Amino acid sequence: MNCEVCQLKELEVEHFEIREVLRCILHTIVFHRALGLVRPKDVDLELFDVTYVQCGDVELEKKIDEKIEHFISWVEKHPNKKSQICLSFYEVKNKQPYWFTNKIERLYWEQWYINLNVAQHLKAHSSKSHNSKVVVDPGEEERIARRAAVEASLREVLFQIIKFVNEKKDHVPPIPNGDGVVYFPHEITIPRKFLSSS
Amino acid sequence: MDLQSNLQPESGKLEQIVSQFLLKSLHIILDSRVPSLRPHDRSGDLSLGSQVRKSDKWFNLVLGDRPAALDNLNFWHRNVMDPMIIDVILVHQGSNSPSMAVGGSVETVIERWVVQYEYPRVVAAQPSESSAYYKKTYKKSIILLRALYSQMRLLPAYRIFRQLSTSSRTYNFDIIYKVSSFSDPFSRAEEGMMEEHSFPAVEAYPGRLCISVTYRTTLSDFNLEPSTSMPPKIITDYVGSPNTDPLRSLPSSGKGVSATSFTLRGVQAPAPVPSQRPHSWTSGFHRAAFSAQNQPFVGSPPAYYPSPMPYDYPSPPAYYPSSMPYDYPSPPTDIHGNRVQHYRAPTHQKAISYDDYQLSPPFSPSPSPSSPSYISNAYPMQTRVRSETAPVSIPLPMTSRSFRHLSPNSSDPNRSSLPPLSPRSRRTDPSSQESPSGITYFRKIESLRSGEMQPVTANHYTGQKVTRDSKDDSGRFSGLLSSSGSPRIGFSRSSSRLSFQDEFDDIDFSYPFDVDDVDTSDFHASQNLDGKKASEFTSQSLPIGRKSQDAAVGELVRMLRTAPPLRQDPSCYSSHSMKTELEGGVATASGFFMPRKAVDALEELRSFRDMKDLLLSKSGRVISKEEA
Repeated sequence: MNCEVCQLKELEVEHFEIREVLRCILHTIVFHRALGLVRPKDVDLELFDVTYVQCGDVELEKKIDEKIEHFISWVEKHPNKKSQICLSFYEVKNKQPYWFTNKIERLYWEQWYINLNVAQHLKAHSSKSHNSKVVVDPGEEERIARRAAVEASLREVLFQIIKFVNEKKDHVPPIPNGDGVVYFPHEITIPRKFLSSS
Repeated sequence: MDLQSNLQPESGKLEQIVSQFLLKSLHIILDSRVPSLRPHDRSGDLSLGSQVRKSDKWFNLVLGDRPAALDNLNFWHRNVMDPMIIDVILVHQGSNSPSMAVGGSVETVIERWVVQYEYPRVVAAQPSESSAYYKKTYKKSIILLRALYSQMRLLPAYRIFRQLSTSSRTYNFDIIYKVSSFSDPFSRAEEGMMEEHSFPAVEAYPGRLCISVTYRTTLSDFNLEPSTSMPPKIITDYVGSPNTDPLRSLPSSGKGVSATSFTLRGVQAPAPVPSQRPHSWTSGFHRAAFSAQNQPFVGSPPAYYPSPMPYDYPSPPAYYPSSMPYDYPSPPTDIHGNRVQHYRAPTHQKAISYDDYQLSPPFSPSPSPSSPSYISNAYPMQTRVRSETAPVSIPLPMTSRSFRHLSPNSSDPNRSSLPPLSPRSRRTDPSSQESPSGITYFRKIESLRSGEMQPVTANHYTGQKVTRDSKDDSGRFSGLLSSSGSPRIGFSRSSSRLSFQDEFDDIDFSYPFDVDDVDTSDFHASQNLDGKKASEFTSQSLPIGRKSQDAAVGELVRMLRTAPPLRQDPSCYSSHSMKTELEGGVATASGFFMPRKAVDALEELRSFRDMKDLLLSKSGRVISKEEA
C-alpha cells in the first residue's frame, strides 16, 4: 500500500498562535479521516475568523491538545524558525508472533506534514518603540495586517487539506467496524530531522 | 443504511446510497446556511451517547434533526438522476433604495450548490465485486460529505449565516434557500463575481456522485448590517385605536387595536408588488411582497422561507410598524376605514375578497357581514403559512358564522402574503410540536372560525399548498412540504428580525374569545411572561386537535385560570405584555380580539396608557410619541 504524503503550506505564526493553528489543522485532518460515526462539532477560533470542525470526541481532543503542548515546549527549547509536526495514519499489522517478540508493524498509509515558521517576538518590540508620537500605533496596524495574512494562509491550508483529502481516497483502508467514533490509528510526531538541527 | 448487509440487490444499494447522499448533502447545506432551519443550537458537544436516529447515521455523519424540507425531498426530487440544485439566496436591501423603501429588498443567489449523480453516456464495465465496490463507494462518499461539511464553513457565506443564527440582533438581510432540479443560469455579471469549485467525484458505478458549488467570492458588496432603523416604539395612535377613532367600537380593549393594525397589515400585504414573491416581504423590506396577484402563492415564490415565522401570526400590527417603519408607508393614524379603502384596490385580486372586508373590529359580535371581515381580512393572511410549529388549537368561542365569509381559501394567494412580522428564526426544533402560542391560537381560531377551514395543523395547510404546487417542477416548494410539526411554507422564512419572533409568538393573536377580561388577561399575561415558555405552556396545555369548540374554549379557559398569575388586573397584564414585547425589542399592543364594547375599549385605552407609562419608566427609551 502506498503512503500518501501531504506537505501543507508553510504558515508563519507567532508563538501564541501556535496552539490555535495546530488545533485547527490537526482536527480538520482527523475529521476527514475519522470515518466512523461522528457528530461534528463546529469550533470557532478565537484569534482568527475561522471555523473548523472537530469530531466531537473528547478523547481525541485531549490527545491532540497533549501533542500540541508537547510540540510547543519543544519549540520553546529549540527556537528555530522553522518547525514541523507530522500526523501519520497507519494500519496495524500483526506479524507472525515469534517466540519472544510480538512484532507489530505499522504500515503508514498517509502522512501530513504541517510546516510552521514560528516568528520571533522581535518584531513586536521594535514596532512599539516607534509609536510614542503617533496617534495610531503602526505596530498595531502591522499586527492587524499580519493577523489577516495568517488567517488567509490558514484558510488556504484548510482548503489544501480538503482538496487533498478528496483527491486521494483510494488508499484509505476500509473503515473498521465499531460503535462510536472510530479513528484510524494515528500518531503525531515531530520529525527527527528537526530535532537534531539547531 | 447498513451497507454491510448484502441482502439488497446491488441496484437497490446504489439507489439507496445516491438518494441518501442527496439527502445528506441537502441537510448539510441547509444546516450551514439557513438559520431558521436549525433545529437547535449545536454549539455544544453532543455526545454520541445520546440516541442517534438511524436515518441520521448515514455516511457516519450525525447532524441532528433534519429540516422538514428534507422529509419531502422525495416529493419533488422524484428522479435521483436529476441534479439537485440548492440556491442559497441572500435577501437584502437593494443598494439603491433606502431602508425605508417599500419593496426594496433584493434577492441574490450567493451560492449555488449542485449535487447530482452523473450518469455517464458510456457505461463502463461493471466492477467485478459489486458489494465490495459499493462499500468503497460508501466510504468515499463519507469523505466527500465530510469535505463538504468543512467547506461550508470556509466559504464567505458562512460568516453571514453565523451572524444571523447566533446573534440576537436583527439584521437587514436574510438567507433563504431554494431547491430545485433546474435553475436559471447566472447572468454574465453575476458569473463574473462568482467562483466555482468542484469536489472530486466519487465513483458509484455506473455513474458518479458529484458536488460542485458556484459561490460569490465576496459579500462585502452588500450592505449587510444589523438593522437599527427601527427602534421599538409604542404606537398609541394606531389605526382604530380609541385615540384616532373614539367612536369606533373596538372589538376588545386593546386587543382591538392590535387586531386593527394587524388587519391593516393584512390588507397591506396584498398590495401589488412587482415581485410576485410572497417571501419578499418577509424581512420586512418589502412589505408589499404579498402581491394580490400571487395567486398560487405556491406558484410564485421560488424560494423558501424556511422559518415558520410570524407571517402567519397575527402579530399585532401595532408593533409591527414600529419595528419596521418602512413597512408602513404611512403611519397608521388614519381612520381605519380609510386605510382599508386605500388598500382595497391593490388587494382586489383573485380570491381575496378584500372588498368585502371592511375595517371593523375583528371578532366583533356584530352580525354585520362586514364586521368580521376585518378579522377575516387579517386572518386569512395570518393563517398562511405556519412555520414549524403545529398550531395549538385555540378554542374559538366565536361562532363560525361570523367568519363564514372568511372562507379561508387556501388557494388564496393573498393569504400567503402575510403579516409583516418577519419570522425570526426559531431555534426550536422544527419538528417539535411546540408552536408560538400566538400563531397557534391564531391558527386554531381561523380554523374554528370557518367551517371549511383546514385543520389547524400547519402541516395540513402546507399540505394543501403542496398539492397545489405539485405540478411545479422546480421543486421549490418542497420546502412547503413540511412534515408534521415543521411547516415550511414558501413564505415563511427566517427573518432577520429575530427579536420579533418571540414577541410575536406571545403576542396575542386575536381570537374571539368569550371569556371575560380577567381570564384573557391572565392568559395573556402568562403568555407574555416568557416568549418561549409561554408558547410551550400554551402548546402543552392546549393540545387540542380537533375537539369541539366548546371543549377548546373550556380548555383555554382552564388554562387561563391556572396560568401563573402575574396580576389579576387586565391593565397589568397589558403592561406585562407590553413589557415582554418591549424587551424583545418590539413594542406592541397585545391584541386580543374579543367582542367588546366601547366601555371595554376605554378600559383598554387606560390599560395601554399604563402600559406606556410602565414601559417608559422601565426601558427609558423614547418610545411613545405622545400621549393621546
